This record gives sequence, structure tokens and C-alpha cells, in this order.
Amino acid sequence: MENLIETFHIDWKIFIAQLINFTVVFAVLYWFAFKPLIKIMAERSGKISKSLEEAKLIEEKLSETRAEFEKTISEAKRQAGLILERAAAESDAKKKETVVRAKEEIGAIINQEKQKMQTEKAATLKEIRKEVADLVILTVEKVLGEKMDEKKDREMIKKLMK
Amino acid sequence: MTSAVNENSAVPVLASAEIYPVKSGEAGARPVEFASQPEGIPQGKLSNGVKQEHTLFAEQIYKIGNFPITNSVLNTWLVVLAVVVFGLYFRKKIKLIPGRLQNILEMIFEMLFEVFDSVTGSRQKTLNFFPFVFSFFVFILLNNWLGLLPGIGSIGQVVSEHGEKLFIPFFRGGTADLNTTFALATIGVVASHIFGVIAIGAWSYLNKFINLKALLEIPKKIMKEPTILIVNPIKFFVGILEIIGEFAKVASLSFRLFGNIFAGEVLIASMAAIMAFGLPIPFMFLEIMVGAIQALIFAMLILVYLTMMGTAEHE
Repeated sequence: MENLIETFHIDWKIFIAQLINFTVVFAVLYWFAFKPLIKIMAERSGKISKSLEEAKLIEEKLSETRAEFEKTISEAKRQAGLILERAAAESDAKKKETVVRAKEEIGAIINQEKQKMQTEKAATLKEIRKEVADLVILTVEKVLGEKMDEKKDREMIKKLMK
Repeated sequence: MTSAVNENSAVPVLASAEIYPVKSGEAGARPVEFASQPEGIPQGKLSNGVKQEHTLFAEQIYKIGNFPITNSVLNTWLVVLAVVVFGLYFRKKIKLIPGRLQNILEMIFEMLFEVFDSVTGSRQKTLNFFPFVFSFFVFILLNNWLGLLPGIGSIGQVVSEHGEKLFIPFFRGGTADLNTTFALATIGVVASHIFGVIAIGAWSYLNKFINLKALLEIPKKIMKEPTILIVNPIKFFVGILEIIGEFAKVASLSFRLFGNIFAGEVLIASMAAIMAFGLPIPFMFLEIMVGAIQALIFAMLILVYLTMMGTAEHE
């Protein structure tokens, strides 16, 4: 043992100095490197797993939303089609109605005109007759030269006219 | 014993020849030689008559009061300074979104976590041990590599000693000094024991080495199984062997690291002595690898010891 110490110059002071050296290295590495690094590594892996889970959730929600969106869109399309159809039908009906009414009105107007024309014709004829009668009376009076009494006159005219 | 091995076959001779230099017994056998000639292993004389040598020990540069500052201690302080500067710099750089430096470190950490898991068997244990074990790795790695830098071992002063001019380098690899490796091994093994007591309790811990439980069991179970009379004293003795094993751990850890790094420095110096240009380069690469591998081996062994001490002996 003595020889060993002498050969390798083992000195307790240096031995202790090296113990302290290693302790310093260990302490520095522990406090400044390992502890914060391992803590941050654990934190990061925790965060990653958490965000992965969240991403899954988000994806699920997204697909859900997409399905809902598609459903809404198709519903809206259906509704729009329905509305268009109805509008087309309505406008068709209205058009037909308008045409019918127009026809009716035109018919009515024509009838009215016809009636008017007929009454006018009748009136004209009556007037013509009266005129003719008067003319005949006048002529007959002139021809006869004398005036019969009214009653006789009329009877005579009537006979003539027949 | 050697003769017996020689008679048997050639293979065990090889094995014993490999084991032999590792034994610290050799270091104990040679000090007589060293005591008479303490200058160390390779010796060279520069042209100006200054002696340059590679000593087994770190040389003293300066003395503050009673405390000798050796060139290895200076190098270790450089490492400590580097680590402190890095720590202060890195502390501010740690962000949730990692930068490049943090990314690289995290990658290394994750890789090492996997390796550590295979030793400890659980991630929680790995996280508990990691800072301590990785500090060993960093400390040893930086010390090993710092010893390889040009200027370390070649810049120094010339002092006169015993009428001879002696070249003493200002810096020497921190781990090329047994004091350093011995201190590191001691911390590691002692920490593993402290952790063992915390993890499995004082009674289980005690029974690992002084197996009172095995002895106390004898009168209880002797009627059921009489073999316990033989088995449990053996267990007790094995426990006592474990105590020796703990000292062997310290010795093997410290000498392995010291031996490798010191040998590397001597190797490079020898190569440089043969031919200073080009020849040491491949050996430099070799030593860079050796430095990393030895740091890793040391750290992993400390991890293994920590894990072993944290598990109770099961029947």
C-alpha cells in the first residue's frame, strides 16, 4: 500500500480536490442542463400528446361540421328548387288567368258594341219609319189637298202601308 | 500456480498472461525499482541536456500553502471551467422549441436513455441515475480528450532537480493521474452504496455483505431441510467476499481508466519521439476513440453498480 501511494503519488489533498471538481461538474450539469432539459423534454412530450389528441378532436368536429354543412346546403338546394317550381307554376297560372280575362273582356266589349249597334240600328229604323210616315202624310196631304181628320188619316195611312 | 498451468495446456497460459498485467499486484511488485529510480518509464534526453520523461504520477507545478497543484489538477480545473461556462450558456438556451444545440443534446439523451433502460430495466430508474452517470461520462470524456490537445504535455518549464535539468509540463491529462481516477471510482462506488441503503433499506443492505439473515435462518429451518447447515454458512462467506469485491470495484475502475489514458499519452509521446511529423496522427485518432470508450465504460459500470446495489438479494 505504501509503495502504491508512493508510485502513483496519491495525495489525499489532490484526491479531495478531484472529488470537489467532480461534484462541481455534477452540480453544474444537474442544475443547468439535466434538470431543466429533462423537465422541458417531459413538458414537450406532454404538450405533443395533448395537441395530438386535440387535433383528433378538431378533425372529428371538422368532419361533423362538414356533414352538417353539406346537409344544410342540400336542404337549401331542395328548398330553392321547390320555390322555383312553385314560382313557375304560379306565374303560369297567372298568365293563363290574364289571357282568359283579356279574352272575356274583349268578348264583353264586343257584345256591348254589338248591342249598341243594334239599338242604334233599331232607333235609326224607327226614325226612318217615322220620317217616311211623315213624308207620306205630307205627300198624301199634298196629293189629296185637303186634310182629313186625323183619325181618318191615320186609318188610311195604315191601310196604305200594309 | 503458474507451473501447474504450464503443465496443462497452452491456452490457460495465454489467459494468465493476459490477466497478469491487470493485477494491481504487479504495481505492488515493482515499486522497489521505482523507488530507486522514480523518474518513470520512458526517458529521453533532449539535445540541450534537459531530461524529458513520462512519470506515472502527476508533477507538482505550484504550491498554495499546503496544497500542491499538479499539472493534472490544472487540467481538471480547465474541464470544470469549461463545464461551468457551458452550463451557464446552455441554461439560457433551453427552450420548449429546441435550438440546434439542444436538439443534438436531446438526441444523445434519448439514445442513452435506451441504453440505460436495458441496464436498469425501468425508465424511472434511468431518469434517476442519468444525471449522475452522465456527469461521469462528461467529466471523464473531457479530461481524456483535453489530455490529447497539442501543448498539453509539451509546454512546460525546466527545473533543476538533483543536479539534473528536468522538463515538467504545465498540463497533463486529468485522468492520467491516479488521484483523479481513484476519486471518481470512490465517488461512484460510495454513491452506489448510499443509493443501495436508500433503495432497499439498511437491513437488506447489511445482509448483502454480512449475511446475518442466512445465519439466523439456520435454527428456524434446520428441521425441515438439514442442508441449510452447509448452504447458509457458504452464503455468509460469500457475503464477506462481496466486501472485498467492493474494493476490487474501486481498484479496477480507477486503474483501468488511469492505465488506458496514461498508456495513450506515453504511446503518442513515443511515436512523436520516433518521428514527430505524421506518425502520431493515427495514434491520436486511436486515443480519441479510447478516450470516448473508456469514459463510456466507466459510466456504464457505475450505472451497473448503482442498479445492482438498488436490488435486494433474493433467495
